[in-house]
Amino acid sequence: MDSWVITMMLGASIFLGSIALFAFLWAIKNGQFDDEEKFLNAAKFDGQDELNDAVNQERKREELKKNYKPE
Amino acid sequence: MSNNIACTHCHLEFDKSLMIEDETHYFCCKGCQGVYHLLSDEGLDSFYDKAGDVTLTPQTNQYEDSSNFNSPAFYDKFVKIDSDGFSEVSLVIEGIHCSACVWLNEKALHKMDGVIEANINFTNNKATIIWADNIVKLSNIIDMIRAIGYNAFPYDSSVQEIKANAQRKDYYLRMAVAIFASMNIMWIAVAQYAGYFSGIDQDIKTTLNIAEGILATPVLFYSGWIFFRGAYFGMKNKVVNMDILVATGASLTYLYSIYITTIEQGEAYFDSVSMIITFVLIGKFLEVLSKKSAADALDIMGKNLPAEVNIIKDNSLVSCKLSDVMIGDIVVVSSGEKVLLDGEVTKGSGSFDESSLTGENEPIYKNIGDSIISGTVSIDADIQLLVTKDFQHSTLSHLVQLLDNAINKKPKIEQMANKLSEYFSTVILSLSFITFLVWWYLPHSFETSFMVGISVIIIACPCALALATPVATLVGLSIGAKRGILFKEAAQLETMAKVDTLVVDKTGTLTIGKPEVIKEKLLNDFNFSLLYSLVNLSNHPVSKGIVDYLSKEDKNLININFDTYNQIPSSGITAQYGDVIVHGGNLKLMRDNDIDIKYTSDNTLFYFAIDKKVVAIYELSDKIKDGAKDIISGLASRGIETIMLTGDNEMSAKKVASEISLERFYFEQTPEDKSKFIEALHNEKKVVVMVGDGINDILALARADIGIVMGSGSDIAVDVSDVVLLNSSLKSLEESFKIARTTYGLIKQNLGISLLYNAITIPLAMAGFVIPLVAAISMSVSSLLVVGNSMRINLKWNKN
Repeated sequence: MDSWVITMMLGASIFLGSIALFAFLWAIKNGQFDDEEKFLNAAKFDGQDELNDAVNQERKREELKKNYKPE
Repeated sequence: MSNNIACTHCHLEFDKSLMIEDETHYFCCKGCQGVYHLLSDEGLDSFYDKAGDVTLTPQTNQYEDSSNFNSPAFYDKFVKIDSDGFSEVSLVIEGIHCSACVWLNEKALHKMDGVIEANINFTNNKATIIWADNIVKLSNIIDMIRAIGYNAFPYDSSVQEIKANAQRKDYYLRMAVAIFASMNIMWIAVAQYAGYFSGIDQDIKTTLNIAEGILATPVLFYSGWIFFRGAYFGMKNKVVNMDILVATGASLTYLYSIYITTIEQGEAYFDSVSMIITFVLIGKFLEVLSKKSAADALDIMGKNLPAEVNIIKDNSLVSCKLSDVMIGDIVVVSSGEKVLLDGEVTKGSGSFDESSLTGENEPIYKNIGDSIISGTVSIDADIQLLVTKDFQHSTLSHLVQLLDNAINKKPKIEQMANKLSEYFSTVILSLSFITFLVWWYLPHSFETSFMVGISVIIIACPCALALATPVATLVGLSIGAKRGILFKEAAQLETMAKVDTLVVDKTGTLTIGKPEVIKEKLLNDFNFSLLYSLVNLSNHPVSKGIVDYLSKEDKNLININFDTYNQIPSSGITAQYGDVIVHGGNLKLMRDNDIDIKYTSDNTLFYFAIDKKVVAIYELSDKIKDGAKDIISGLASRGIETIMLTGDNEMSAKKVASEISLERFYFEQTPEDKSKFIEALHNEKKVVVMVGDGINDILALARADIGIVMGSGSDIAVDVSDVVLLNSSLKSLEESFKIARTTYGLIKQNLGISLLYNAITIPLAMAGFVIPLVAAISMSVSSLLVVGNSMRINLKWNKN
C-alpha cells in the first residue's frame, strides 16, 4: 500500500478535527463558556426568539455606535 | 391548609382571603401584582412558563433612592468606559433563583433604549451591563431591575478578579489545543507501536512521524509557552524550577524527533513531547483553579457603600465625597448607618454599636458632647456630628493603614513541593547530562548517547511530580467546600497543617455573639402577642433575642398594632394599646416609671410590665457555641495550643474561659494589641492561626499565618482572612484542621510515589534499558497512580 493513502486520510481527518477545534477556541474566546450553568440552560431555552433578540441587540449596538458621541 | 393558594407572581402560598384577586389571578401583594402586569405588558410573560414552580421573593419597595447612582462620585468609582465609548458597570443582582430569572432580567434590559448588552452570570449572580449614557442613565437601568422584582447593587470588579478570569480563559485555550493534539497523536502512536513489534515500512513510518510532528508543534510552542516563560523567569532569578525541566526536556525531545524523522532511522518521540506538556499543563491549571474559588462569594458579601456622606452646609443637606469633608463640618448620621468620620455629637442621641472596634456587642449610649469613633454603627440614633479629624487621619483609615502593613508582613512558609521540585529539576538535568557524557565517552555514537540522555529526562516524567500537589490540594479544597469551609488559596492547606497555636476571639467566635434568652420567669398570665409586638418595634440586640425566643416557643403570636409607642434610648420601649399601657426594657426604664422590682442577676435582664405591673422577666446571655469545650480539648490532643483574646472585660472573659476550661486568655485587648500578640508568637517561632469575626480582629487576622473568619463576620474581616467558615460553627474549625492535615499527608504520599517511581526508572533509563513503549506507558501509569491515590482520600472522606 502506498503511503499517500495514509497521508491523505491523516490530512483529511486532522483538517476536519481542527475545524471543530477552532470553532471551540472561538467559542471560549467569545465568552460562551464563562458561566457553566448558563450555557447548559441555553440548550433548554434557545429558540427563534433568542436568536432574534441577539440579532436585534447586535443591530442596536451598530446603530448606536454610528451616532454615539461620548462627552 | 386547603384554602391556601399560590401567588401568580412569586408562587408563595397564602390564605385565599388575604390575596388580591385580579381577574383569574391571585397576588399576595401589590408589588407582585405590579410586576405581573409589567411583564405581560412588555410581552415577557413566558417567564412564568420558564420559571415553573420556583418561588420568588415578593416585591418590596424599600430601596434607597436610585438617583444616588447617577452621582459623579458613584460613576467615578464603578462605571468604566469601554473601547467604543459606551459605559459599562458590574452589578450583583439579588433575588435570582433560577435560569428564568436570568432570562427575564436580560430580556427586560435588552428592551430598554440605549442598553447595548446585559450579560448575567447565573452561577454568581453578577451582571455586566453596557449602555449609551446619553440615552439612558444607570439609575433607569437599576429602576428597571427593581421594577421586575429584583435588586441590584454595584461592586468594584477588582483588577485581581479580572486578571484571574483572563488567566483561566487563557489556560482553557491552551489546554484545548494540547488535549486535541495529544489525543490525535495517541491514535497515530498506536500504529507506530504496532509497527514497532510487527514491522512497518520506513516510508509509512516517516508519514506518521510527520503527522505527529505537525500536531506536536502547536502543543510545544502554544500550549507549552507557559513553561518557556516560567523557565525564563526562573533563570532570571537563578532558580532551577520545574518549568526549566519541562521546557528543556520537551524541546530537546522535539528537536531530536525532527532529526530522526529527517534521517529516516530510529524512533521519534513526538508523543512524549505532547504528553508531557499536556499533563503538566493540566497540573498547573488545577493550581490556578484552586486559587480563584473564594473570590466570587466575597463580592456578594461585600456590598460596598458609595463613599459619600451627608453634611449640612448653609442650612441645607448636601452629599459630599468622604475625602472632601473638612474638620468642623457637620455630618448627619441616621439610624442604621455607619459613622465614617471621627467627631463629637452636637445634636440628638442614641445607641451605637462599637463592636467593630472593641468586639463588645452591648450597645453604647451617646449623648450631646460625647465623641464617636469612626467605624461605629448607629443602631437607633439620628444625630449630627461635628467632624474633629478629616478622613485621612480618622481612626478608620488608620486601621486600614495598619492592615496594609499587616498583610505585607505576613510570613510566607515555604511550600514543600516547590522546594522539592527545585532540587529534583537540578538533579535530573545533571544526571541526564552525565549519562550523555558517560555513554559518549564509552564510546557510543552521538545519536545513541544523546537519546539515552534524553530518555532520562523523559522517564523522570515531571508529570507525576507536577500533579502531586495540585491534585491533592484540589481534593482538599473540594472536601472543604462541601462542608462550608472555603480556603482562598491552595497553599494555605499546607501552611495550616503545620500550625501549632490557635488564637481565638471570644465574641462571635467562641460565643454566638448575640444575647439569647437563657431563663424565662413568668409572674402572671398575659397575652404573649403584646410582648412580641412590643419587642418587634426595636432593633436592639436584646429585643431581637426575645423575638427569636418567642418565635421558637410558638405561642400563637400575632402582631398587634399599638396606638402609640415610644422608644427610649438605652432603656426600652413603652406603648399603648387601647387602655393597656405596656413597658418593656431594663431596670432603668422600670425605675423611671416607678415600677417595683426586686429580681436581680449577673446576666442582662429584660422586664416586661403591663399597666405598671411586672408580668415577665427574661434573662439573656451570650451563649457559648455547641461543643466548644470538646473541640478545644480535641485540638490540644493534636498539639495545638489555644489562646483566647478578647476586647471584653476580665469578668466575662473569665466566665467563658472557665466554661471551656481554657488556661491562657487575655482581656481588654485592642485591635493593635491582638496584632502585636500574634507578632510576639511569631518571634517564638510559632505558626499561628487566628480565628475571629469582627473588624476588631482584622489586624490580627491579616498578621497571622492563617486567618480564619466566621462567615457571619464583617466584610473586611472576610476579605483579609485566608479561610472562611461559612456556617460559623466551631465544628467546621475542627474539620478545617483535619482537612489540612489529611491533605498535607496526601501531598507527602503523592510526592513519595512519584519519587519512588523515579528511583526505580531513572537507573534503568541511564543504563539504556528503556524502550519507547515502556517510556510511554510508565509515564501515564505514574500520573494515574498519583491521581488515583488522591481520589482514594476523597472516597474515604465522603464515607464518614
